[in-house]
Amino acid sequence: MSPNALKPRGNVHVCSDVEACGNVEERRFRAAVSVTDDAGFSPCGRISRPAFAASALLAILALMTASPFSLQAQKTIPASVTADLPAGAMQAKATASCLECHEARIIVQQRLSKGAWTKEVDKMVKWGAVVDPADRDALIDYLSINFSPDKPAYDPQRTSGDKKISK
Amino acid sequence: MNSRRDFLKQISGAALAAGAAPSLLTWALPQEQSVAVPGEDGMILRSFRFVDLETPVEYFNSWLTPVPHFFVRNHMHEPSELDAHDWRLTVGGEVEKPLTLSLSELSKIETHSVVNTLECAGNGRNLHRPQVPGIQWGKGAVSTARFSGPRLRDVLQRAGVKPTGKHVMFRGLDEVPGKVPPFIRSIPIEKALDADTLIATHMNGSPLTRHHGFPARTLVPGWIGAASCKWLTEIKLLDAEFVGNFMSPGYRFPNQPAKPGDAVKPEDTHPLTALNVKSVISGPSEGASLKAGKIAVHGAAWAGEGDITKVEISTDGGASWSPAKLGHDQAHYAWRLWSYDWKAGQSGDYTIQSRATDSLGRTQPTTAVWNPSGYLYNAVDQVKIHVA
Repeated sequence: MSPNALKPRGNVHVCSDVEACGNVEERRFRAAVSVTDDAGFSPCGRISRPAFAASALLAILALMTASPFSLQAQKTIPASVTADLPAGAMQAKATASCLECHEARIIVQQRLSKGAWTKEVDKMVKWGAVVDPADRDALIDYLSINFSPDKPAYDPQRTSGDKKISK
Repeated sequence: MNSRRDFLKQISGAALAAGAAPSLLTWALPQEQSVAVPGEDGMILRSFRFVDLETPVEYFNSWLTPVPHFFVRNHMHEPSELDAHDWRLTVGGEVEKPLTLSLSELSKIETHSVVNTLECAGNGRNLHRPQVPGIQWGKGAVSTARFSGPRLRDVLQRAGVKPTGKHVMFRGLDEVPGKVPPFIRSIPIEKALDADTLIATHMNGSPLTRHHGFPARTLVPGWIGAASCKWLTEIKLLDAEFVGNFMSPGYRFPNQPAKPGDAVKPEDTHPLTALNVKSVISGPSEGASLKAGKIAVHGAAWAGEGDITKVEISTDGGASWSPAKLGHDQAHYAWRLWSYDWKAGQSGDYTIQSRATDSLGRTQPTTAVWNPSGYLYNAVDQVKIHVA
């Protein structure tokens, strides 16, 4: 028997979403598996059985009216939630080469030597980053000057969990 | 002008002095400094695109981490389309009967639950010196949840694993940018057949959210987070370890300790599997200024496939250690919360340290083993505070 089965259960109410246990994945999951009772899967503890039945009905209605269900593509996001690269002669080219696949925060949090930046740039070129060979050395200089080990520690932002996407 | 860090220090000191709940700290953050990510509350934003969110250590105050506070690690873009009706899981390779399962079929298989502390192998990367490339996680790429779903072995037994099936490969639906190698990894068949290795569909009693792998993920308990594949869509039995970037050179550790800054040859490394022993102090917070008297020191400790046997606290720079009280809630693969009532008599600057020991005889080292990718940082934790 699993050791987990013998251990006491936590008494903390934990819900997978801020929307009072009614998250969109939960509704989709229930609709997809055609759950008629909670055998095998326990619905979130805050939902009473009548409320659970009501949410299942809502899920079915939603399926009938809003199909196909597709989650919002992560790539179509407002630019304001992503960071920018610092000013400099290579800013535009670095933005074009690097931010096609990921945002600037992944770069600006690094504190690396020139040797380490060289390895990173060459790896990313191998992985599809478009860098004109004539620009390679300047790009490495730009990154290793702006994000060297002697720069102050990166101070990350926090998320707010709000529904509205804004900075 | 005060930086956000200064502001945080001030409000955390004030909140602790007033006995406020740690969650208030996040609520009080200035809004212009925060970035809205629906459903993710007060998380440290390491990256928005793709999403990488760190759990602040002040959230290590409940045994089960609420999902909005559970760290998120993505290597790629999340799937842009996730349709629970169209989702299928295939099982192929070295099996007698290749299978295709719908979510409805998967949900009819007996469910099992495992409380697991999931930790990214790179947690604590920004504490290694010299610094190494990668997401610069602080201390919070780790969280604990109750994962539920069918046992992986029940699905594998339906397909019938051939004797040649020695490794189990997982592929998720994450979307690969450019020519980046896909995020595919494998685990040995022995771990795949373990009764606690799951195809999890639920987390803390609710279906997985998109960030955590909806509608199904693997849960390989006690192992590095990268072993647990999100948005699972393909399982393939192989006769050898999967060959790909995220098995080698990714997620490997030097066989012998490397000199900091040195390169390590791939043949001198092994794949990362189980987590090591570790503790983190969740309070007081770094830089806090507190009144002399009783000060509550608290945190969490975990050990992958081992069980935490003790956590010790030092307030004198490691000269002497006193046992912390371990929390009541426990499970084999889950962290233990711990607390220590410290009577701070004299004013001054103090370094509080925590050191965990596990059932496998491992104790947190004073210095973590440096390695080129910054994996498995587990040095004795410490916070510096001032007692007024």
